[in-house]
Amino acid sequence: MLKSRRRPVFVAAAVCAAAALAVVLLTGLAGGGNNGVTHVAGSNSAVLYPAGHRPAAPDFTATTLTGSKLAFSAYRGQVVVVNFWGSWCAPCRQEAPVLAVTAQQYRPDGVSFLGVDVRDDTASALAFTRQFGVPYPSISDSGSTITLDFTAVVPIAGTPTTLVIDRTGHIAGAVFGTATQQELTDILAQVMHS
Amino acid sequence: MTDVRAPEADPFESPAEPDEPGRAHRDPAGGALGLAGWLKWGWRQLTSMRIALVLLFLLALGSVPGSMLPQEGTDPGGVQQYYTSHPALAPWLNHLGLFNVFAAPWFAAIYLLLFASLVGCVVPRTFRLAGSARTLPPRAPRNLTRLPRSAEYPTTLAPAEAAEVAATVLAGHGFRLRRPGSDSNHGDDEHWVSAEKGYLREAGNLLFHLALLGVLVSVALGGLFGYKADRLLVQGTSFSDTQSALDEFYPGRFVTAHDLGPFTITLNRFDASYITSGNQRGQPSSFDARVSYTAQPGGPARTFDLQVNRPLPVDGAKVYLIGHGYAPVFKVTDSRGQVVYDQATPFISGTSGNFLSQGVVKVPGAQPEQLGFTGVFVPTAIEVGGVLESVFPAADNPVVSLIAYAGNLGLNSGVTQSVYEMNTAGMHQLTSAPQLLQPGQSLKLPDGQGTITFTGYVPWVSLAITHDPGQLPALICGLAALGGLLLSFMVRRRRVFVRARASGPGTTVQIGGLARTDASGGFEDEFASLAAELRSAHSQHEGE
Repeated sequence: MLKSRRRPVFVAAAVCAAAALAVVLLTGLAGGGNNGVTHVAGSNSAVLYPAGHRPAAPDFTATTLTGSKLAFSAYRGQVVVVNFWGSWCAPCRQEAPVLAVTAQQYRPDGVSFLGVDVRDDTASALAFTRQFGVPYPSISDSGSTITLDFTAVVPIAGTPTTLVIDRTGHIAGAVFGTATQQELTDILAQVMHS
Repeated sequence: MTDVRAPEADPFESPAEPDEPGRAHRDPAGGALGLAGWLKWGWRQLTSMRIALVLLFLLALGSVPGSMLPQEGTDPGGVQQYYTSHPALAPWLNHLGLFNVFAAPWFAAIYLLLFASLVGCVVPRTFRLAGSARTLPPRAPRNLTRLPRSAEYPTTLAPAEAAEVAATVLAGHGFRLRRPGSDSNHGDDEHWVSAEKGYLREAGNLLFHLALLGVLVSVALGGLFGYKADRLLVQGTSFSDTQSALDEFYPGRFVTAHDLGPFTITLNRFDASYITSGNQRGQPSSFDARVSYTAQPGGPARTFDLQVNRPLPVDGAKVYLIGHGYAPVFKVTDSRGQVVYDQATPFISGTSGNFLSQGVVKVPGAQPEQLGFTGVFVPTAIEVGGVLESVFPAADNPVVSLIAYAGNLGLNSGVTQSVYEMNTAGMHQLTSAPQLLQPGQSLKLPDGQGTITFTGYVPWVSLAITHDPGQLPALICGLAALGGLLLSFMVRRRRVFVRARASGPGTTVQIGGLARTDASGGFEDEFASLAAELRSAHSQHEGE
């Protein structure tokens, strides 16, 4: 009696063990593979993508907050800083002065800045740009479709997110969260000299 | 004459299918058990039906605080509120994980133990059932007249021939047969047929147990690879299914933002209609959200009529209409005459009914001071003793009541705020009493601080996006479990034995039969007709 039962008991235990092993393996696989992405020194949220592993930025055309058409392809050949923001987003309001200063500072070097205004109304967004003296244009992305295009290549979890795109149209660096001037300077230094 | 006897006992021996094979019999304290012995004992305890039931009960008990206390995942505001109202109790509840029950280690422990217990119970049982479904019927007993059903008659056929005829008849009825073969040690004088039918019962039992395992695996699949998300969508606006555009996102263990389906949904129009008379007045009669959507960027735009219980299936996910409300549209100009706010602002209906809704308007871009408004939207307003009430959920006489503030909204410090709440700590009130506005009316703020205009209102809907890869497998397994259970209830295993013995010049044919008595009746009739058929087959062959 006992003898005949032993086999199923151990089979069951083996099935459990195999299931546990599968879970562990899956967890390990899900976490692996970072393709050489490095963090900017002293920052958890700023990353650099090494040349050859830079995701291509999607192309898009959109309407700016002031009503003109903008094609992203027009920026090809320049280093572009793309900032996702919203006037309702508190960290974006904290970050705005830093971006305004950095944009002015890098203008002579040919670095362009472009805002992507997410889930916003134009009146509030324009009030924001006036208030913080934002010196660069922003496109309206009230339906998050442009955010969606970018999310296919970089993990944008919300606003603010800042992407630095190299001269070939590839995403070379990103700050997920509020960007500091140091983080932007570090990323731009890498991208402009490569 | 066919002689059918009443049952004396049920000798249906069933060592192949014990329900709970002697699990509790062995006492670990009784003998000297090693570590392996203890482990084996523990495993046996864990996989016993008793422990499984206890765990199931604990699981149900453990879910109770999850529905009675506010939970971090679904209602963080409620948790905050609980902390303020029960300052002494709340930290203790938090230590016990009662504000996040379904993620608490003790809850996971119960769930995993239950899972292990069920797997440990079902898998060995499956093997036993599979073995039992394969076994041949036992050898025919010596004295068939002792069986619950029996019959006896003479025939002129030789015993071997009589047995052969009986085997043909029984095989024709779909019985599984066993004949005296090489295992027989009784020589050539043995002529019998053992026949058994109703193996489908074991197959059903097997199916039930496997399907039960399948249900467990499906539920786990849903939890690991599924996700849930919520989004509030104002009429005339759209959103994309990406994490930054979702209000809430609850991914499964192995889900990342990358796994979200890249669809975009626009709410073209939402209509709610209500019963206008009788004692059901004010009850909703229909909700109808007309949306257009693209399954992926650049794909063709399609339209869909979203209703309660009629979700939109898109890219493996389902989008449900779960709520609605009003979003009054406000236009705010600041002291310099610049429009600094112009949008529909979702207000949330409270418990007071008839969609009396509350919300805030935050205008951080106003100069020289930031402006803020707390408001109430009343769809069908009447004033009762100086208090605004809503008497009907449709917007028949919409009114907003606003209190204006100026100062610092606290947004520029970078600390994230809820869009439905306003921190008035850094602000001063501009209007002493709530100001009532009808659509098109404006409120001029004192000291030339600006103007707010209530330009109109639009509806909003709240959508729940769910992706549960375990749903379909769980349904299939559930149906299979039900089917298996039905089979094992309806089908009985029954055995018929035929023995042919030489008696004088002819042969005596004995037929015996038995069935499990716990299932539905009918075996008596089946046996009687089989016996009659056997007898007539024998007499037919006599004539040849």
